[in-house]
Amino acid sequence: MKKKKLTALLTAVAMMTGILSGCGSKGAESAPAEKTPAADEASSEQESAGGENGGTAAAGDAQPITIWYYWENEGHQATLDQLIQEYNGSQDQYAVTAKYVPFADFKKQLSIGASADELPDIAILDSPDHASYVDMGIFEDLTGKFDVDNYYEGTVNSCTVDGKLYGVPFGANCLALYYNEDMLTAAGGSVPTTWDELKETAKALTTDAVTGLAFCSVQNEEGTFNFAPWLWSTGATSYDINNENGVRALTFVQELINEGVMSKECINWTQGDVMNQFIAGNVAMMVNGPWQIPTMQSEAPDLNWKVTLIPKDAQYASALGGENYAVVTGGNVDGALDFLTFATSEEKVKFMMNQFGYISADKTIAESQFAQDSPYYPFVEELNYAMARGPLAEWPSVSDAISLAFNQVITGTATPEEAAAQAQATIDGIVK
Amino acid sequence: MDEEKRLSRKTNILFSVIAVALLCVLLFPLYWALITSLKTEQEIFQNPPTFYPHILNTKSYAAQVETGDFNMFRSFANSFLISMGATVIAVLLAVPASYGIAKYHFKARKAVLLSFLVTQMLPVSVLLTPMFIMFKNMHVYNTWVAAVLADATIGIPFSVLILKNYFASIPKDLEEAAYLDGCNKFSAFVRILIPIAKPGVMVCAIFSFLYAWGDLAYGMTFILDQEKRPITAGIFNFMGQYGTKWSYLTAFAVVTIIPVAIIFIFMQKYIVSGMTSGAVKG
Amino acid sequence: MAKIKKFFRYENVGILFVLPAFLYMLVFVGYPIIHNLILSFQDVNAGNLVRGTKNFILFDNYLELFQDSVFTASLWNTLRFTVLCLVFQFIVGFALALFFSKRFSFAKPVRGILLVPWMIPITVTALMFKLLFATDIGIINFLLRSLHLIEKNIEWLTTPGTAMFALICANVWIGIPFNMILISTGLTTIPKELYESASIDGAGKVQTFWRITLPLLKPTIESVLILGFIYTFKVYDLVYVMTSGGPVNSTHMLSTYSYKLSFEMFKYSKGSAVANVLLVILLFVGVFYIRATTEGEND
Repeated sequence: MKKKKLTALLTAVAMMTGILSGCGSKGAESAPAEKTPAADEASSEQESAGGENGGTAAAGDAQPITIWYYWENEGHQATLDQLIQEYNGSQDQYAVTAKYVPFADFKKQLSIGASADELPDIAILDSPDHASYVDMGIFEDLTGKFDVDNYYEGTVNSCTVDGKLYGVPFGANCLALYYNEDMLTAAGGSVPTTWDELKETAKALTTDAVTGLAFCSVQNEEGTFNFAPWLWSTGATSYDINNENGVRALTFVQELINEGVMSKECINWTQGDVMNQFIAGNVAMMVNGPWQIPTMQSEAPDLNWKVTLIPKDAQYASALGGENYAVVTGGNVDGALDFLTFATSEEKVKFMMNQFGYISADKTIAESQFAQDSPYYPFVEELNYAMARGPLAEWPSVSDAISLAFNQVITGTATPEEAAAQAQATIDGIVK
Repeated sequence: MDEEKRLSRKTNILFSVIAVALLCVLLFPLYWALITSLKTEQEIFQNPPTFYPHILNTKSYAAQVETGDFNMFRSFANSFLISMGATVIAVLLAVPASYGIAKYHFKARKAVLLSFLVTQMLPVSVLLTPMFIMFKNMHVYNTWVAAVLADATIGIPFSVLILKNYFASIPKDLEEAAYLDGCNKFSAFVRILIPIAKPGVMVCAIFSFLYAWGDLAYGMTFILDQEKRPITAGIFNFMGQYGTKWSYLTAFAVVTIIPVAIIFIFMQKYIVSGMTSGAVKG
Repeated sequence: MAKIKKFFRYENVGILFVLPAFLYMLVFVGYPIIHNLILSFQDVNAGNLVRGTKNFILFDNYLELFQDSVFTASLWNTLRFTVLCLVFQFIVGFALALFFSKRFSFAKPVRGILLVPWMIPITVTALMFKLLFATDIGIINFLLRSLHLIEKNIEWLTTPGTAMFALICANVWIGIPFNMILISTGLTTIPKELYESASIDGAGKVQTFWRITLPLLKPTIESVLILGFIYTFKVYDLVYVMTSGGPVNSTHMLSTYSYKLSFEMFKYSKGSAVANVLLVILLFVGVFYIRATTEGEND
């Protein structure tokens, strides 16, 4: 008890001293802090000159620029870091640092940061969320500052609201069908191109130990992302589900479950979990994205797999994913723009995309990014059929209604017709 | 004081066996976490599951020490600092408060007690934004102090509620004896009553420490720099956009538990004697 | 000056003891509570969080909530979850406390080790149980099948009813040490002499328990139950990590739904309203507790 009392006392004293001496930490109040009131314009000249809590660099008083990102993959983090080091070394006006904010916390931190006026200068965020933040008014209008003419339409759409550009696409990715080549050959099957063929092949590949197909069906944005290709392949749209197309899509998923070719566990599997199942040999085919490839190659180098387009119902379809850069209003906009100009140059884009396992959002780069026999190539082809989700400020609510619908169908708590009707009712309430 | 009757040898053995059996059943999840951490990812997904790792995989433990920006030792230090800070505040403020409520029946007493309870009645998520704003204005955002201040708000009301029972159970005669000896109210409190309420104070310190140790929300929201975050934040390294890596995750769990468990085992003597010393004489 | 001294002379000196803690909580939690209350009466979403006007719509949010099937479901889920968890963790914790109060060789170390579930961060525990309850690779299904209690694997976390059961198991596992240790220390406040004189008087074990142990433990039991109720009612991390409120919203609790509304759907005011409903319910429970425990307490 004495020992503990003493420790406690010492700690208390240390703390009090800390508090009273106003212990703010070094990086805390740097760049994002001094936000000019409401009618901010990009006149950050004044703010930059102000840079009192100076940040990182020494003599030249480089202005600190903060980036928030959510990639927890070590490789991604290292790559981003390398890009930043290169930029910092190439000039001495700005010093960029990147902060990792876990994916699960990212939206929360942006909301809280917006309320408390504590935001980064640049945010790298998930494309379907972009529109909501534009609605919030925290992203800078970048129209005319970046040349996105050659970018895939979907990627640009995700950060365009009312004809104005509020971000720059970081990279594009989409979903495609992976299949275990050895299992397919052993079962004597051929690569499926239509829904019927897919079901046949999946059935042939399903054994006691292996399920034929899997894709993430969690009740959240990730799940909606994975359900969208099926929905859109029928011709239905995200806002118009309660029709024979939408119902057909839901019925298809239901049949996959009921006929035992897809496990119900998919409603608990993230795309990463699905990949783990695939490389463990528990699942013969999966729908997943190209960012998994680096991990798959390192963790299961002997696995024989290939990629093909997602089988179609009426038309080929896939969902567009990826992140966007966004510049935060009221932050150090000049510095942010300077960094982004550097980061979106062709050479840097190629570097980042290859390291990340992403496809460039710039069509001209994407088309020459991969050799024809590269596992990434089918994804580039799939991009031609990939559409973006939204963009809509209320997309999260729409997405929620959709993911609830296919979850109901998978768990058997509603029929496809009921689920579609319920989803439609919610969606109508939002968009109309 | 008379010693409690010792149990007969047979009963002693019987109870000990039951105790160990209980231990095995209740701690099975931990055993499972331990062996999962030593299996390869392939083996984890094996059907039927194996009860011990057939292939030993220590990669997951190596990854615990350093993964990217995350450094285990630094994170532990952060957690420890934050938890100690929160505990100190909680104990310093709650002990007198619970004494005041237990012994002095002033008019607003019930309201005060209720208000301490009320502070626990909102889910953490809605407290985050206003607290964030406050911490930013206090210039402690992105420092360990913010986490300490936030975590203490859990420890204080809890401690007040538990401790008041201890103080209430101390008979008046002890206090009166102290006054007779010349103490005023405050010194009586410090010299006589706190030592007797030791079991309660110990329990409160432990609970406050553990709540702060296990906190994720406050540590994540109010601290932006990875290197300042508590150990709980490390969980995101193994559970993110890219799926759950079970062997790494369970290794993380084991590693998070060990230091706290060690502290407890060493402090066992103090803790257990503190908790079972008994507050009251006949 | 004399007046002040007089004010603090008798019972009111207690106010001085309480003041630091009270002020601390007032600042750090009182302000958030008020902020949240105001937010729930407004209509705030992404569009007007930082700019534009926040209109007051008073109780509209609350009225809309009661039309929301997910909200009503989460309300019942939270109540059910809390009551069931409390019952089980209290009974088991109590039994263990009694068991370990006997002096046998392993009593102290085993009791100490049994505290461990409580030391693990809840997010970690949630993930552990997610693994245990997994349908195909989970050890629980394996054990149940080996014991021939079930034929096919139970889809614990992908079926609405069983998911709740799995959550309750996990929470009870975490809650047992909490109950056990508090009741254990409560037991130490009972003078041993009472037990001795009871046994001299020929009282049996059961009688002693009901007549001496329980009544004297009343304050401890009350504190344990009320705190347990409040903390369990607020459950968030466990549910968020283990089921995220699924499958199909069947395990959404008030706190997880509040979070989802605020931070995933940008409906901040609605999220605040849900949180306030939680607060009001707990307030009733709290008032009831205060009345029950300070009744008949005179100086």
